[in-house]
Amino acid sequence: MSDSIVYNIPITMIEAYRGRTLVVRSHDPSMIVQRLAGHDLEMVEYLQVPVTGGDIDSLLHWEHAVPVDLVIHNPEADLPLLYRYSAMQAARPVRVSVPVAPGFSKVVKLALSLDFAVKLEFSQPGPALTEELLRVADLYLHQSTVSQPVEFIHSMFLAFYKGDPVALWIVQEEDPARMRYITARGIETISRRFAGVELNEALPSFIENYIEGLIKEEGGECNDCEFFDSCLGYFKWPRKEYLCEGVKALFQRLKEAAEELKADLSSFHSPKGENRS
Amino acid sequence: MKGTAFSLILLPTLSCDADCDYCFEKKNEHRITLDQLCVVVQKVMDHMEHNHIETLSIYWQGGEVMTLPPDWFEKANIAIREIAERGNRQVLHYLQSNMIAYTSKWNRVLADMFGNSVGSSMDFPNLHRKLKGGGPKEYDRLWVRNIREATEAGIKVGVIAIPNERTLEMGAERFFSHFVDELGIRDFQINTPFPGGSVNDVKMGYPLNTERLSGFLADLAAVWMDRGFHHGVQVGPFSRLMDFFVHAKKDLMCIWRDNCVNDFVCIDPLGHVAQCDCWVTSYPEFRFGNVLDDGSLSGLLQNSRARRQLQTRPSVLIQKEDCLECKYLTLCHGGCPVRAYSVYGDVFRKDPYCELYRRLFQNMESMAASLETESGR
Repeated sequence: MSDSIVYNIPITMIEAYRGRTLVVRSHDPSMIVQRLAGHDLEMVEYLQVPVTGGDIDSLLHWEHAVPVDLVIHNPEADLPLLYRYSAMQAARPVRVSVPVAPGFSKVVKLALSLDFAVKLEFSQPGPALTEELLRVADLYLHQSTVSQPVEFIHSMFLAFYKGDPVALWIVQEEDPARMRYITARGIETISRRFAGVELNEALPSFIENYIEGLIKEEGGECNDCEFFDSCLGYFKWPRKEYLCEGVKALFQRLKEAAEELKADLSSFHSPKGENRS
Repeated sequence: MKGTAFSLILLPTLSCDADCDYCFEKKNEHRITLDQLCVVVQKVMDHMEHNHIETLSIYWQGGEVMTLPPDWFEKANIAIREIAERGNRQVLHYLQSNMIAYTSKWNRVLADMFGNSVGSSMDFPNLHRKLKGGGPKEYDRLWVRNIREATEAGIKVGVIAIPNERTLEMGAERFFSHFVDELGIRDFQINTPFPGGSVNDVKMGYPLNTERLSGFLADLAAVWMDRGFHHGVQVGPFSRLMDFFVHAKKDLMCIWRDNCVNDFVCIDPLGHVAQCDCWVTSYPEFRFGNVLDDGSLSGLLQNSRARRQLQTRPSVLIQKEDCLECKYLTLCHGGCPVRAYSVYGDVFRKDPYCELYRRLFQNMESMAASLETESGR
């Protein structure tokens, strides 16, 4: 039986995961280049390196076009380091994964300016950060110079546009049915933010059980949430009591923008004169 | 790294038959020999192999390249081709010349080596381009005669024009008419003047007034949209900005790339390596090294303190200037370092034409939006 799961592993475990589909990570980009020599790169979905990574020269000049995910830990401090990677874009797709922490919108803006895709990494953002999120959503939605996706904003916007919900757990690469994160100690978990967290249920059924728990909760916010089909309680982890007001405002903004676009396009496609004032 | 390219601005000579007021190059009579050229090209090829780069674009500039004889270029072309074939690399050649020494003897080289295309320079009105010991009028007369002759021989001539105070007074309509209607130029570019190199009275007037220059550019863009855009006339930087705003195609001038250090280097006839022609000829303290002396170009570039300084410039600018707040950060990351250095004596300042660029981007963005609205009707 073939294994369709993607494993996010430290480069040191490359031999143990030979033959699997992988995301390979290391603090030392030059080590990735060295250790991947002779491996089947078709099986590597992307490389993950911290933006603070030491010697990036060998990765910059690596002949293989494997995509790279640059991981930001501290948005304010790491911001200027993005320029070190600007030359990499010519050789491979580059994505920046940035935690939704103070100053993250600056990273998003610079990353998009360098034509890097962006993935926002969430915990449970407070009011100040949801304000910053709304600004990022506006940047993505309305600035004509933006040509790269900002996830999950991009996928949610498309989902609203198509009227076809998309599971945030999947978009955020945290669906254990599709992806597993292997810690430095070799422990299999859902993603980096789950590392060190004791999960009481088996990984494959974690989300299903978690959703079930949220729905059963009497008076729980998820019960009558119009965005539940896509969110699936994503923002209720780790604290179930987290109030989603700010996140819902973001979803609402995306939904309205999708509807606006649909209306614009339908007016554009209508026979001349119709739907025009 | 399939598809990637390395660009080399190559100055085979710093000898020049002109004496333009605003030239930023410190001229001399040095010429690179064919043997030295082969050493340089071999080292560039080695650097490309080390970095898995397939294509080399050589931008031949001077000094004035046509102070070298055409047969020198024929020999150079053969030698470069042989080196490139040994390394399984592709080489593209581009020529920038003032065309003052052009005669039909150049036609074969222009066809064989440069795809029957040449980039030249002329201003309107011409106040500052002069022949050695001569004036702008003689320069004009020779240039126009030679451009017409080259065009008749089937050579495509592109022109870089530097606006001056009189250009701004005469206005965009007259400027456009001169190049397109009177001279038949279908491809020209406006560059902003800056006080690079040694100081003189003309350079003291740079940078030009932002208000007036941006007004001129806005008018010129409107004239181009009205009379050039739909008729295949390319005007830089408008054409490429329109491509960006309409087609999301990002092929920007060097001053607006995220870091010019990633894209090219310049080598002079003595083998000095620096970021571009202005740095290599006029600011020796910013040279990266000498490719004829040092072991490898890769090592030279990697170990250069001056290059590292330029490399860090955009990341310093987003912390100390207001670039991060700019709506057009994707189009400009602080602008040209040599323009900043020539005006402020500091590479860690943004381009003195920042406000001009911002207005230009804004104008082109709204022109692109109007164009799309019109085409949707």
